[in-house]
Amino acid sequence: MTSTTTKDLNVAVIVKLEPDFSEGNVSYNADGTLNRAETKSILGPHSAIASNAAFYAKVKYGARVAVGTMGPPIAESALQQAQLLCDADELHLYSDRLFAGADTLATAEVLKAGVSKVEGDGKVDIVFSGHRASDGETGQTGPQTAWKLGYTFLGHVIDYNVDLQSRFVRAKRLISLQGFYDILEEVEAPLPVFISIDPSYKAFFNTVSQRLAFEKYQKEARSRAENYKQFLKVLNTQQLGIDPKLVGLPGSPTIVYKVERIPKAKASRKSEVIDGANRDQLTRVAANMYEVLGGMVIK
Amino acid sequence: MMSKYQHLYVVIEHEDGMPVPVSLEMLGEARRLMDGFNKKYSSDEKVVAVVLGHNARKLCEELIFYGADAVIYADNPELRYRRNLIDTKVISQIARSREVAAKFSDTSEFVKPRYMFFGADSIGRHLSSTVLAELESGLASDINKLVIEDLEIKHEHKTKGQAMKYEKTLEMYRPDFSGFLWTTILCLDNRNPAIEREYHPQACSIIPGVFAPIEPDTSRRGAIVDYVPEFDERDLKVRILDRKIVKSAVDFDSHKAVVSFGKGIKDSPEQNIKQVAELAKEIEAEVGISLPISKKPFPVSEGINSTYMIPDRVIGTSGRKVAPLLYIAVGISGAMQHIAGMKESGFIVAINPDENSPIKDECDIFIRGRMEDVIPLLLEQLRKQRPTIEVKK
Repeated sequence: MTSTTTKDLNVAVIVKLEPDFSEGNVSYNADGTLNRAETKSILGPHSAIASNAAFYAKVKYGARVAVGTMGPPIAESALQQAQLLCDADELHLYSDRLFAGADTLATAEVLKAGVSKVEGDGKVDIVFSGHRASDGETGQTGPQTAWKLGYTFLGHVIDYNVDLQSRFVRAKRLISLQGFYDILEEVEAPLPVFISIDPSYKAFFNTVSQRLAFEKYQKEARSRAENYKQFLKVLNTQQLGIDPKLVGLPGSPTIVYKVERIPKAKASRKSEVIDGANRDQLTRVAANMYEVLGGMVIK
Repeated sequence: MMSKYQHLYVVIEHEDGMPVPVSLEMLGEARRLMDGFNKKYSSDEKVVAVVLGHNARKLCEELIFYGADAVIYADNPELRYRRNLIDTKVISQIARSREVAAKFSDTSEFVKPRYMFFGADSIGRHLSSTVLAELESGLASDINKLVIEDLEIKHEHKTKGQAMKYEKTLEMYRPDFSGFLWTTILCLDNRNPAIEREYHPQACSIIPGVFAPIEPDTSRRGAIVDYVPEFDERDLKVRILDRKIVKSAVDFDSHKAVVSFGKGIKDSPEQNIKQVAELAKEIEAEVGISLPISKKPFPVSEGINSTYMIPDRVIGTSGRKVAPLLYIAVGISGAMQHIAGMKESGFIVAINPDENSPIKDECDIFIRGRMEDVIPLLLEQLRKQRPTIEVKK
């Protein structure tokens, strides 16, 4: 049963079912590429962090939480795993053969339509997404969905708080300027916002009431996830009200033209091979190391 | 004949006028590509740098030296620091402005840029996404090779199965997460009448540290075009309250040596990571990892997990680029992405049981053996020869 009561805060999480890269589950081909057929799938690790961020909104602000994913029927397992993490009140699977082969822009079109189908006429205050998927790794789908929704996009968020009275969110962002330094930025924006959660996000609960809410919702999440199908809605192109020309392969500006093995680069250094069991040779290597480090060897 | 789509626009990142390295790298590659393009097609399309900022005119001049034919510069106090919303609006306006393009080219037909580059970093990754969502065109991320070609394409949707020629198509090469596969992404117009649609610019984000900037040439001249951005209150609704520089707990830059480990730790991960850490401690090195390790593929204790198997330590195109005096790669096979992050190191030692690993061609000394066996012996030698510091009186 899904609740339709209006909450002070409505949040949604966008998640993805991804290959499980952990030991025992991931399988590589002899050439080092991923063996997709043999690799299990799970809720992606960044999706899990985004789900945690949504759970924080539930514990701290009593938010209503919806989780959505685009994928084939099997992707509902990602929704179940996310529900266990964030005690979702509503689960959406956007599933249609027409969605297959979508690039990030065509995926964003589906997710935008999906968020607008969240109960309460899609009046979602905050949408959370993970930093990037561990298989596709583009990191583009979140911000593109935000832009299509017309939500203010805040990326690399490591902490956030909401002022329910003023309807503002305050967020800390960690920005890495490659070649320079990292910047910790604190920003403020009116709701609604789209937050892409940084991998270093950690939720903190610091009051007794929050601790109690945490335990209560965690317990609720376990029982809900056991019966996740009661919370699940499956929506296709027609139900989402999307123009089929904008989704899947027809709606994707980009195509994958070819996939090839990266050719072995020309040797950039000529290495000397040392036998790792030979003490004399290693003596010389150790001396070499100190030499390049500029250490002075005094004998 | 003029085209609706012209030029290569490069979105520049900088901090108060100091260009982030990837900006100059993108300009370098843009210069090389467009020189080839103009020769091949007997045309005169430009490399155009796009700069948003405040008091950054000097940077604009520098960008010409680094290969830009023209710079479009939007100067406003509100544009000093990067904010996705306002930046996306302004960059999209610039990309659609025929008036601006007319300042450096014949633009009677101009609609949008032909190509567009962004840096694949914290800022550019998101900015490229929202700009291309606004411009409704295709975007490929994390590119490390680019080619412009005339291609014959036969595609179920794009061409309705017919073979068709797509001229001046940007082939965008993207290494996958394993580092072993290259995927070529194309951004193509839909010519199938049922879904007909034009997709320009062809855009991508470019991995930092891959392409070389050109030698700056102070005799190069080009137009600096001032653009007065149009925005209102709603575009400024994100307020920056505080902004400070932070030092990462992982500090590669102030260490003379880096010891990195990869999937080769697999036989006894916990023990092996401790060994690597001991080796690092002995030579006062910072510890790095390869990208797969950050995905936590092996079960280890929580302490080891949270100390070492973290994204902050990743060296390579998905992480940091380092150039210490000494780099030791332990159990790292040498995927291209990792190499890109450490190849500038002074002296490189690899410890690996497999002589066929690509790392063998990227190091100065290749120690053949399992890390379990090699590190204790190497530590023994390092301790014997530990240098004493001479104190000058």
